[in-house]
Amino acid sequence: MALVNRSRRGRLPGWVALVWLSPALVLIAGVVIYPAIELVKAALGEYSITGLRTGSAGLSNFRKVLDHPDLGTVLKNTAEWVVAVVAITIVISLGLAQLLSKEFFGRRVVRWAIIVPWAASLVITARLFTLLFDFYHGLINRLLVFLHILPRPVDFLGDDHWTMPSMILVGVFVSLPFTIYVLLAGLSAISDDVLEAARIDGAGPWQLYRQITLPLLRPALLIASVLNIIYVFNSFPIVYTLNDRNPGYAHDTSITFMYKLAFKSAEHSVGMSAAAGVFNVLLILVVVMIYLRVVSWQEAVR
Amino acid sequence: MALRKTALLSGITAAVLGLAACGGGTGSGSNNNNSSGSKQVSSIKLVAAEYSADHTKAFWDQFAATYKQKYGITLDVQIISWNDIAQQSTTMVQNGNPPDVLNINYYSSYAKDNLLYSADDVLPASVQSDLLDSFKTSGTFNGKLYGFPDLSSARALFYNKTLFSRAGISAPPKTWDEFEADAKKVQALGNGVVGYAEPLGPEEAQAEFSIWTFNNGGDWKDASGKWTVNSDKNIQTLQFLKKLSVTDKVTQNNPGKTNRTDGAFPLFTGGKAGMIVGFGPLSGTLDKDKKVDYGIAPMPTNGGIAPQTYGVTDYLNAFKKNGNQQALKDFYELYYQPDQVNTFIKAEGFLPVTKSGLDVFKSEPALKVYIDTLPNVHLTPNQDPVWDKVLLAVQQQIGAAVAPSGDPKKVLDALQKTAEAGG
Amino acid sequence: MTLLSGARADAAAAVPVAAPRPAGWRRARRFVLPLAGFSVALVFLAPYLVMLLDALRPSSDVLASPPTLFPRQWQWNTFGTVLSDDRFLNWLKTSLLVAASSTAIVLVVSVPAAYATARFKFPGRTPFLLLVLVTQMFSPTSLVVGIYREFFEADLVNTYLAIILTNAAFNLAFAVWILHGFFSSIPVEVEEAADLDGCSRLGTLWRIMLPLTKPGLVTAVVFTFIAAWNEYVVALTLMQDDAKKPLTVGINSYVTGYSQHWDQLFAASLVAIVPVVILFAVIEKYLVGGLTAGSVK
Repeated sequence: MALVNRSRRGRLPGWVALVWLSPALVLIAGVVIYPAIELVKAALGEYSITGLRTGSAGLSNFRKVLDHPDLGTVLKNTAEWVVAVVAITIVISLGLAQLLSKEFFGRRVVRWAIIVPWAASLVITARLFTLLFDFYHGLINRLLVFLHILPRPVDFLGDDHWTMPSMILVGVFVSLPFTIYVLLAGLSAISDDVLEAARIDGAGPWQLYRQITLPLLRPALLIASVLNIIYVFNSFPIVYTLNDRNPGYAHDTSITFMYKLAFKSAEHSVGMSAAAGVFNVLLILVVVMIYLRVVSWQEAVR
Repeated sequence: MALRKTALLSGITAAVLGLAACGGGTGSGSNNNNSSGSKQVSSIKLVAAEYSADHTKAFWDQFAATYKQKYGITLDVQIISWNDIAQQSTTMVQNGNPPDVLNINYYSSYAKDNLLYSADDVLPASVQSDLLDSFKTSGTFNGKLYGFPDLSSARALFYNKTLFSRAGISAPPKTWDEFEADAKKVQALGNGVVGYAEPLGPEEAQAEFSIWTFNNGGDWKDASGKWTVNSDKNIQTLQFLKKLSVTDKVTQNNPGKTNRTDGAFPLFTGGKAGMIVGFGPLSGTLDKDKKVDYGIAPMPTNGGIAPQTYGVTDYLNAFKKNGNQQALKDFYELYYQPDQVNTFIKAEGFLPVTKSGLDVFKSEPALKVYIDTLPNVHLTPNQDPVWDKVLLAVQQQIGAAVAPSGDPKKVLDALQKTAEAGG
Repeated sequence: MTLLSGARADAAAAVPVAAPRPAGWRRARRFVLPLAGFSVALVFLAPYLVMLLDALRPSSDVLASPPTLFPRQWQWNTFGTVLSDDRFLNWLKTSLLVAASSTAIVLVVSVPAAYATARFKFPGRTPFLLLVLVTQMFSPTSLVVGIYREFFEADLVNTYLAIILTNAAFNLAFAVWILHGFFSSIPVEVEEAADLDGCSRLGTLWRIMLPLTKPGLVTAVVFTFIAAWNEYVVALTLMQDDAKKPLTVGINSYVTGYSQHWDQLFAASLVAIVPVVILFAVIEKYLVGGLTAGSVK
């Protein structure tokens, strides 16, 4: 079946389109738009430590967030976290999706195994890795020392040099299944005829991949990367749980920073936290817009 | 085939929505916010923190059943883990929907916001006179008692008898010098053993620091109510804790980033730590595992003062809502019945909060160390709403002081500033 | 110029002789691929195998130092204890109900929306697609306060309906985007053929289009189910009765600052993984195949 074509679109009066879209619109309005408005309202309020609203704060919450001494660290961490996890995940997923698209004995079982990190709750996986990374009772240290890769145990979660890499490892680990799955769906849409034809014309495997497969994977790659950027940016359990023992904000990303502002810091202010939440949304919105522009999404999606 | 799938899907959706809508039941208890003030509520809500999977829910379920039977009012119980209760309670208050009773670890900020009933409103006189004086004082804000304790715990020095005898230590240390020497001896045993497990991570850093500094004559505030976070005694304490880790190297790795639950406690319960500051629930774990031969002793002191016991209580805050005053009175009357409150305390492995409770627990030999000192227990300044914020600041900042590059004086100075600025 | 002709042109410009596959590759392939596959599977499963071993030892051994891979002392009754715990069974039932219902609603809502955006041009089409994406950008942690208020006003706190609707709304974006992609890639000729045969647009959608987008539907189902199954913050805030908590919230009870049952925590978590893997195993075969058949012919 030819994958590439022009799908002609009919013109539709607005109200008919509304009928097709209305259930989605209602759900989104209810569960996202209304709370988003509440978020902005909260950001404009002054709150006591108990959560009681004590008046209007104007824009002071926003100012306080921008003036926060740890904001720079948090933003830097966020950038490292998102870029590293998404990039590494996509690269590994491309390879693994390729592997899993080939027929081989036991492929089914392998595909089931891949789903497990995604099937398990993030909170539990994060807690498990907190145990695995520990200095004293962590198996990772035990294994690496046993294999003489490390001379002595490393404080993966407490040592400032190792905390971010540890977080990234877990982030990649839990993002791989979903990404592989999306790319597999994309790969399955590429018919063998196209590949066979190119091969007959003399294309080597690498040429095949770069000039046929990758371009045809563009829609899937787009979905995978955009959604990954958003999900990794908003990912809370991994960063929070792995940093449970770390005081301050040294390794927090903007999402855990927002949470701690509300409930764990001396500020304990839901107003400031809401302001940080608004900034978060704006930040990810800008990042995604730029990303989409850069990969010229209009073309790929048509 | 597609049509069948459609039909099936629609059928499932319809069935599910129908089920969910009628099976769910309404949310917050009805009649909670009546405009006619004199009408009494028919149900109240308790948000209880979960101390343990085995006991907390079981206790409150039977309590609710008894309460309903006795007073005819429904008690809706929501159990929330300690990790989440800060977020949940704040969200409830933020939305103008606090529970009627909130079990949480602070009260004075709620009292300051005028959200709570005082003891005069909801606590029977017999209960008021039965509460231990130290807790009454600690629970009094602006001259009124708002902080009703649900249970208490006291901390003491736990030591591993086996490691002590191997290291040639005959008795637990009484002074800081003895403590340091003992820790060094245990550390010298090697094989992954640490002399003292020191948790100064964010979980309960204020507890670890408090107990040490109280036994050095330091405190968070002085008698006049002025903040003394960066007093000389406090700085000396923090320097001592840093010395143990950085210079003497008798603690576990990175104490500023170690919590109790998954860091310090497992070392002690696994027999890998010579000493630790412990409390009731730790005894419970040790007794269950039967792996460690342990002893409990008063904390070592510095400067020849008498040992101070550091105590902690959590609270059952009574929220003002229309028509719930009588129901709350009934609640506290029932809760502080000896067969209720002490049953709860015993099951969870904590200490009593009433004088009558002291009598009940006096007969337990294992608790002698605590019971004797409980009436004079030393608490953190919970009656000051500013402390609620300082506590959080301490948890987030004090761990940095015991790192190799840490500066105890600087950290405490910063905390002092936070305290003086009102949090 | 379509991509296909572009590829052909490129290929034609290359060496005219067909590049032969290395002779041994076909034979080695039969062994190398399964080996690679199983190694990958092992890496993905390794932490959860550790979790399994942790469930089969006393809680005190989980955090013992130094750690051992295999239990110092085996404990075989953990799964039995957890599975006979009424609290756990209630949490499991809730999770199943919520995840299944949310998935059903997402399908019912996203299919028409994705079809409309793929096939029709109408004012607000692009904004709608972007809106759907933007809604994903709000972290549930930010939204939970507003969600709580909303359901509180509607007296729907502590109802299954509330978290089912919430989960459905949160996962719409992905479903719409991926179905949009699949609907777009089906040639118009297919629909035109059906139209000529007298099928209504709705009929075409159900009978012809949907089967062709099976991989997309399956992906949306798996994605939504898992997302709803593992959702935490909103369920924590809205579900107040212990029996109505889903597994993610409920299993927190096993480990507290005062009482730790790591063995039960991990046993419960492993049981929680099973329904998802079963669902996946059942519908995974629909992911591949179906599309490569010549539907245009």
